[in-house]
Amino acid sequence: MTAAAGILAHNTVVVALGVAAVGFAAGVVGSLCVLRKRALAGDAAAHATLVGVAGAFLATGRRDLATLLAGALVAACAGLGMLVLVRRFTRTRDDAATALVIGVSFGLGITLVSGLPAWGYANSAGLEQFLLGHTAALTARDAWLLAAVAAVAVAAVAAILKEATLVAFDAAFAAATGWPVSGIDYAIVGLVALMVVAGLPAVGAVLVTALVVIPPVAARFWTDRVGTMVVLSGLIGLAAAAVGVAASAARPGLATGPLVVIAAAGAFAVSFLCAPHRGWIARRAEAARGLTVRRGDDEGEAGR
Amino acid sequence: MTSSTLVGDLAFGLGGIHAWAMATAAVIAASCALVGTLLVVRRMSLVGDAISHAVLPGIAVAVLAGGRPGGPLVFLGAVAAAMLTVWLTQGLRAAGGLTEDAGAGVVFTTLFAIGVVLVGLAPPGTHLDAACVLYGELAFLPFDTISIAGQPVPRAFVAGATVLAGLVAAAVATWKLQVFTAFDPAGARMAGIPVAAVTTGLLAATAVATVASFDAVGAVLVVAMLVAPAAAAELLTRRLHRMVVVAMALGAVAACVGYLAAWRLHTSAAGMIAVVLGLEYAAAAALTPDDGLAARLIGRVRLAWRVAREDRLATVWRAEEAGNRAAARPQTPHEAVVVRWLEFTGHLLRDGSSWRLSPAGRREAENVVRSHRLWEAWLGRHADLPLDHLHPPAEWVEHHLGAEMRERLEADMDERAADPHGREIPPEA
Amino acid sequence: MTPPTRPLVEFHDVTVAYGRRPVVWNVDLVIDSPCLFGIIGPNGAGKSTLLKAALGLVPLVGGEVRFFGEPLGRVRSRVGYVPQRETVDWDFPVNVMDVVLMGTYGRLGWFRRPGDRERRLARECLDRVGLADVASRQIGRLSGGQQQRVFLARALAQQADVYFLDEPMAGVDVRSQERIFHVLDDLKAAGRLVVVVHHDLRTAAEWFDRVALVDRRVVAAGRTIDTLTPENLQRTYAGHVDVLDDLAQAIAARGRTP
Repeated sequence: MTAAAGILAHNTVVVALGVAAVGFAAGVVGSLCVLRKRALAGDAAAHATLVGVAGAFLATGRRDLATLLAGALVAACAGLGMLVLVRRFTRTRDDAATALVIGVSFGLGITLVSGLPAWGYANSAGLEQFLLGHTAALTARDAWLLAAVAAVAVAAVAAILKEATLVAFDAAFAAATGWPVSGIDYAIVGLVALMVVAGLPAVGAVLVTALVVIPPVAARFWTDRVGTMVVLSGLIGLAAAAVGVAASAARPGLATGPLVVIAAAGAFAVSFLCAPHRGWIARRAEAARGLTVRRGDDEGEAGR
Repeated sequence: MTSSTLVGDLAFGLGGIHAWAMATAAVIAASCALVGTLLVVRRMSLVGDAISHAVLPGIAVAVLAGGRPGGPLVFLGAVAAAMLTVWLTQGLRAAGGLTEDAGAGVVFTTLFAIGVVLVGLAPPGTHLDAACVLYGELAFLPFDTISIAGQPVPRAFVAGATVLAGLVAAAVATWKLQVFTAFDPAGARMAGIPVAAVTTGLLAATAVATVASFDAVGAVLVVAMLVAPAAAAELLTRRLHRMVVVAMALGAVAACVGYLAAWRLHTSAAGMIAVVLGLEYAAAAALTPDDGLAARLIGRVRLAWRVAREDRLATVWRAEEAGNRAAARPQTPHEAVVVRWLEFTGHLLRDGSSWRLSPAGRREAENVVRSHRLWEAWLGRHADLPLDHLHPPAEWVEHHLGAEMRERLEADMDERAADPHGREIPPEA
Repeated sequence: MTPPTRPLVEFHDVTVAYGRRPVVWNVDLVIDSPCLFGIIGPNGAGKSTLLKAALGLVPLVGGEVRFFGEPLGRVRSRVGYVPQRETVDWDFPVNVMDVVLMGTYGRLGWFRRPGDRERRLARECLDRVGLADVASRQIGRLSGGQQQRVFLARALAQQADVYFLDEPMAGVDVRSQERIFHVLDDLKAAGRLVVVVHHDLRTAAEWFDRVALVDRRVVAAGRTIDTLTPENLQRTYAGHVDVLDDLAQAIAARGRTP
């Protein structure tokens, strides 16, 4: 009895650590995405993943996490590919194209997941856990897989941070100095797709966007340097994921995803209100003292 | 599915439950398409996405407070949540310097998460659970009926039809304001149109349409019903009032087809409706007459063919001008095919081992050469270009000058009749 | 035997289109010696487009651009660029030093981070534009003129032989204009070519050694004193482009450009 409880607790801890690693990596990758002003790029990928989860199950008959997530990654990239095609070959504007891919790909995913039991795949139950996230079903093995994906993503960001920052800040200059801007953009969006997929088991397709958007946006309030922002964003993501997993372990009836998102939103609210300089309270105080930073030509010029 | 079983489905469906389910889905889809058209032309599709997620906590709070799904309290809660979303997003942009999509990304995911947790807290038997949030339960709606003139009518259909009627009435009443605001917000503001109120109204309408759809398709798939028919209609027509009608029709058709297909395939009707909407969009993108993919491909091939024909005719004309007909012999297999075709259409006449122009061919050739030389003359006069650089640009411009452009070029120069190389510019044929 | 001197920049028959609609037609320009070269013309004349096309930021539909006799791809590190100031988000979380260091990325290549050598160079460049004392300030907290000088410092850090500047004087205070102009003058004195897109005729006559008058096509080019004639200006600022615009419209409507 106690041994079983011990194993259970051990499993919970390992899963929590794996998901926290994903939270960290998602925050790190999300920073690049938000700085490149593509905050919602991940959302189309996220909603498309469900097709891949169901498709991978249909194709292989297997339900292990690696198979399903591999399918999800393929589908996420296909969703982003559809987005590129719609933008290039039709008059449809970017925002409508994104919403279109979100709605239609999610519809296809729902159709597949709902249809599987009736089509004779009796053991397909559980796929709907990818909608809102459910960490209780994860094993220690799954957690290691997630942690490995997270490590790869963080390493990739560390490798291309200089290049990605350049492209995000000034794509025209980057292109003029010979950097492959669209290649770097694809790398950023590809990493986002990877993290969306890795976040799927814990946060679910509908909300996983939050994992790559909220932490960087919150981190931005605290710092004016990219490097600091990336690390801080990762830490916020890590904390939100850990808190969410712990909360859902305490209330097993609740899906994990919403709890992770609410934890991240809490961190955002604190950042928005309390951060020095950029936070709302600091700005109000500064405005009240009449010390708003002026961008006029007198600023910093006067001494010369 | 064979045609006989489809007819069977329809016959059965028209008699009962299926007809009501389809009718309900159709009025809902039409409502969403109406609102969605305005969202799409105002580039607010993602605002629609955000609102459709964010109404969930409003609905959940209203239900927890004792409201009935589809009842007035729920509509009120949803509209309040939609307004909260917009207010928060704008507030974050103004006070926190967030870009609009980042702000929306924070707000709607957070509100949706809160909504899901609230739904999880709802007592059993309140008609609200996670599955319903994600994909609705269209198939069950016809069983919850109210009595109208002694006939049982599904409550959801009554609610959906009422919403549709209200939205259509509102759209008709404010149509001019909507059109003006959509195409020129700054001008509309200058003209005294309450742009903020018009926008707020549109957002409230989005919330109402979302709530009306909620029981049938859930909160997530509404975005497909809002945006897909409007995006398809936008490809098919450029007039806003036609767009609205086409979008509503596409939405209603997709609702019926999607419902039937889902029933045949034993899967989620909401998901299938979204899939059919996607197929409609794909068909529109491929088959639109003017700039659909198929039309553009055909246009490209035809232009390439025209360029090839005109080049060949002009080559023969120049060869004749130079008195060296042999120079016009085709050099490549491709050119040989073009020559055969021109011979077949009577533009070229075979003359031993070479070809000469028929009267029709000569007319066409002279216009091409005339375009070429006029353009060279014009460039030579109005741009700072050395003589030897004039030919290559003219080589492709010649295919794009119509009779009217040629006349204007000629009128734009004082001297005529000769190009910069001193050759004669033929008169308009 | 001395190697044959090649022109620093050559445009041959360059036609540039946005989508299918040509905006600059048949530009032919050769700049063969270091100087301050102005590209002058009215708003919407395609000056910036021409500059971007030279740098490979907008595809050419016809013609070619060569630097030192070579295609751009081989000599990118010798070409410096100052984009328009409005093209970036000045609220981006980088400070002045970070931006100037970006000028060294081209030489650093993939994965290598800027080190002491690059920092020293960046500091030097900041000093040349008079911004050494704000090196650690977030870029949004600078005046417009200072921001433009940060961009100039970044270009200096590229250590290029040819510099392209897109409207560097737009929205810039007089002090900064003078400062920028002196830096450009120093570059010329050091044997660099500086090509500037500019729209102000008064200062153009004063600053540039050579100019090209552009309005959808090059109307005239050459030494400033010979080129900025009333007749040429008349042709640049009042004439004949409606034909080009209508033709561009016709091509965009009918199909492809080659």
